[in-house]
Amino acid sequence: MRRASATERMPPPVVALLASPLGALVRAVARIRASVHVKLLAGFLLITLLFIAMTAVSLRTLTETARQTNLLDEAHERVGWSRQIEHALAMQMHFTAMALLSKDDGIVARILRENNRFNDTLARLEKAAPAEERALIQAIRGSQDDAMATVADIANAVRDGRLADAMTALRTRQEPLYAKIETLVGSLVAAEETRMASLRVSIAAASRYSLRVMAGFAVASIVLALLGGFVISWSFILPVREAHGFLSEVAEGRFGGTIVVPNRDEFGALAEHMNWMSRELRRLDDEQRVAAETLRSLNDRLALASRAKSEFLANMSHELRTPLNAILGFTEIMLDELYGEVPATLREPLVDIQTNGRHLLRLINDVLDLSKIEAGRLELGVGEYSVQEIVEVVHASLKSLALEKNLAFTAGVSPDIPPAWGDGRRITQCLMNLAGNALKFTRQGRVDIEVRLDGEWLVYRVSDTGIGIPKDEVENIFAEFRQVDTTITREYGGTGLGLSITKRLVELHGGRIGVESELGKGSRFFFTVPLRTDGGRA
Amino acid sequence: MRDRTVLHIEDNEYNRKIVRQLLSRTPYRLLEAADGEEGVAVAQRELPDLILMDVQLPKLSGLDATRLLRADPRTAHIPLVVVTSFALSGDDRRAMDAGASAYLAKPYSPRDLLALIHKFLPEN
Repeated sequence: MRRASATERMPPPVVALLASPLGALVRAVARIRASVHVKLLAGFLLITLLFIAMTAVSLRTLTETARQTNLLDEAHERVGWSRQIEHALAMQMHFTAMALLSKDDGIVARILRENNRFNDTLARLEKAAPAEERALIQAIRGSQDDAMATVADIANAVRDGRLADAMTALRTRQEPLYAKIETLVGSLVAAEETRMASLRVSIAAASRYSLRVMAGFAVASIVLALLGGFVISWSFILPVREAHGFLSEVAEGRFGGTIVVPNRDEFGALAEHMNWMSRELRRLDDEQRVAAETLRSLNDRLALASRAKSEFLANMSHELRTPLNAILGFTEIMLDELYGEVPATLREPLVDIQTNGRHLLRLINDVLDLSKIEAGRLELGVGEYSVQEIVEVVHASLKSLALEKNLAFTAGVSPDIPPAWGDGRRITQCLMNLAGNALKFTRQGRVDIEVRLDGEWLVYRVSDTGIGIPKDEVENIFAEFRQVDTTITREYGGTGLGLSITKRLVELHGGRIGVESELGKGSRFFFTVPLRTDGGRA
Repeated sequence: MRDRTVLHIEDNEYNRKIVRQLLSRTPYRLLEAADGEEGVAVAQRELPDLILMDVQLPKLSGLDATRLLRADPRTAHIPLVVVTSFALSGDDRRAMDAGASAYLAKPYSPRDLLALIHKFLPEN
């Protein structure tokens, strides 16, 4: 049995994705023989590695940009120095001209100072300059040295008063030299500026490039992370959904289904266990069905047997009574001397036949009553009855027995008891049983019947001064065929069914029965029934 | 005035014999039938003054026979006593429902039966 339920209730994009090669990837991941823990760890590790790679690329780009910026700074600095050189040169020319004009050789010191500054700056520039600019710097230095030699000549001429010579030297030697140096420095500045321009271009290009690389990396990372998340999570969700559908089937009582998942991890193991469980459930279900079927047919057979038993009992009731009717009938008409005078010697055995015949009749009645109650076939004939009448009937029926045993026998009914509703004949039977028992088990003293109304309940009570019941037997006293001592049955007679039948009849009325007894002093039996019993079967 | 007739429908010979003995010293004329069909036939032919009907009879049950007799206008008015197996089993109610005038539980005392007969057919 295969379920479609695993793909049911899924968002359509997921269904589409699972149908694509991605679905195959999901199943492939599921098939990997590794624990869920390891798979999750691998997934997180993949994402972590992506982040590390992205960080490395960013760092590299950053470093490269910093280096180029640095180069730009250096070039910028060199341009600054070149400007200082130009300035120093201008100052030298200015001071030289001043020396000529003021004829003051003290100015030479200022010229030297500017020269020193020039040389210092040039040395710094030379140290920082790239190799291709060294030749240019050498040329500048050479021209400056020449210019300084010319300055010395001019200074000497000024000191010696040869102003014309000094002027000539200035014009013919010094000025061209300065012009040359100026040109050289200018080309140096131009070279640096060109370099700066190209550096700016390359920095801009590098930053654009790094931006693209970073963006690409970010996009790739996000896509990979999403893919990894999808693949790993669905490789777990699919078996869970399968299990969900499978368990729903089980919950609906359809056992024996099989769950198929590609997983070779904990989910695979779980699926295997569920399949096992399913097989077991199926087996148990089958067994239970067979057992239920067996029970049903057994029950049918029992019902048949019970019906047969009831019919048998009904038939037996008649079949037993018919000969008993003849026995008791013939005995009675013989004792009534319908056949002529009965000799004294025969009267006693005839009375014995009658007594035993009546006892047999009671036995038959009790057994039939009890089997009817057991079969749940006894129905109460509910109607209005008089409690006073019942007590009177019972008292009248048993009066002779009490007289015979020389026992006091009283019956008391509260006069305020209204007509009651129930099965009067059965209530009579109950009271007769209790009072009959009391008289039977009492050798001397008294037996008293008392009925009173307690709210909506009738309380029938029979007290005696008889042999009493041992405490440990009180519980069993209402069970079938129970008399405290089997010898009692022989001594006192009785079927041992009276109390049991009485209890059932009282319960059919919705009441209860009980006893308080003291061994050797007497017993007080009582039962309660509702003043008005509506139902037949209780 | 002719002697009043009692029809006793009962399949057991001994029980028929008891009634026979019981009525032998009375002026009642006794008719007997051993099953339900015969009982109905005798009742319709002889139109007795009282019918004693056992409840369980061969061929036709006592209750069915009672219903038949009650349905027949010639016999519908005849007093009919059903002898039930067991008063407490509900036979009494069924007997009265079938149309019996009275019922008597088996085993009955011959004295009680005679009293019942006297009640329906007082001796002059």
